[in-house]
Amino acid sequence: MIVSFDLVILVFLIITAAISLRVRDLLSAAMILGVYSFLICLLWAEMGAVDVAFTEAAVGAGVSTVFMIATIYHTRRRSSD
Amino acid sequence: MKWLGLIATAFTGILLLSATPYFPSFGDPNSPANAGVNGGVSVSQYYITETYTDTKVPNIVTAVLADYRGYDTMFETVVIFAAGVAIFAILRSFGGTTIPSHPTAIDTSVEGDHQRIIIGMTCKLIIPVIQLFALYVVAHGHHSPGGGFQGGVILGASFILMALAKELDTALARFSEKRYLALACVGIFIYSGFGLLCVALERNFLDYGILHRLMPATDEIMARSHSMLGVEVGVAFTVTAIMFAIYANLSSKGRLEQGF
Amino acid sequence: MILDIIAILLIVAGLVFFLGAAVGLVRFPDFYSRMHAAGKGDTLSNLLVVLGFAIHELRHFDGSADVIVFCKLLAICAFIMLTSPTATHALMDAGYEDGIEPVIGEDGENALAADRKKP
Repeated sequence: MIVSFDLVILVFLIITAAISLRVRDLLSAAMILGVYSFLICLLWAEMGAVDVAFTEAAVGAGVSTVFMIATIYHTRRRSSD
Repeated sequence: MKWLGLIATAFTGILLLSATPYFPSFGDPNSPANAGVNGGVSVSQYYITETYTDTKVPNIVTAVLADYRGYDTMFETVVIFAAGVAIFAILRSFGGTTIPSHPTAIDTSVEGDHQRIIIGMTCKLIIPVIQLFALYVVAHGHHSPGGGFQGGVILGASFILMALAKELDTALARFSEKRYLALACVGIFIYSGFGLLCVALERNFLDYGILHRLMPATDEIMARSHSMLGVEVGVAFTVTAIMFAIYANLSSKGRLEQGF
Repeated sequence: MILDIIAILLIVAGLVFFLGAAVGLVRFPDFYSRMHAAGKGDTLSNLLVVLGFAIHELRHFDGSADVIVFCKLLAICAFIMLTSPTATHALMDAGYEDGIEPVIGEDGENALAADRKKP
């Protein structure tokens, strides 16, 4: 565990989480949530939990982003709030 | 209303932050999770020292997931199955407004759509490798990171890639609705079947050691290792099928045609 | 020693190209030139960095484990080579089908619009 590396990832995690909440365009929000998933995957891999990181990379960043985009394609792209 | 939410969030945040100093530090050998309470051996210590002698599985995570905490994983698989069935029940629409005149199949000849030819060729090259890797992740799950969930998701993602690159029909021709629903059920049956076999041989549910009577040339310890592989295969079946089912229903509004 | 130097040179070259791709992504005027910067820069810099890692793995050549990691990294190189340009191509094509117009200079002819008018 490298504390400075952790801190950088955690700061970026907070930034991406805030952006994905604030952004109006739902497609961008889904993409930024994918970035968030990759960052948290990096954090877990760096902490030594490789199994969890693997799951996060496959499920969180890969498939769930595709599901969200497939849903947005059939609904509205703009958020109302 | 916004202010109320802000106050609630801030209060929860302060509460959580005020609790953090009392946590043991990362990798602290004297924390209760690592050292045990009142001098006893803690669970994590037991896993780290005894997993290999108990099960001959080098990857402790898989051993905990599929053997020590077998119930948990079984019902995790059932949760994924339930999620797939729920999406199926909500979205899938039979008959009704059929879309007229499905456009003819994509022309992948040289004179046809050049965009499709490049993406189609790349997918043709990539998809077998992805599927092979997924099978490796499933089968090698107790020696390296991986297991049924990860391998199943990767295998499902390869079918999703096929549907994205060509048409949904192309993927459905290889992995039809009947097949994926059957496969999802078969996965659960494999998992619970291993448990019920143990009950039939007069042990507890999911106590794999006794299965050495059914497997040739194994002792109790290796029987655990092999049963873990079987259970992971069951999980991978369910996860693969449900991932593709969710995508197919979401992308075509449940009609399973003309999805992208 | 010599392998270390080669690895460092490759990784630094990859990072330079990454920087170029990032600057291009921000500075270029329209969708197509941005994708041009992102696609080419990303592919090349990824390849260089991963090749640098692969050579770094060979630095003390005594066990078989190093060679396995080297081969895995080379396989990753091959997949980046295949998939990254295809992804760029797919994105470009989606933008073209969506009707994004490129920025054209004073005397330049909008070749894309002329192409689209053709049946």
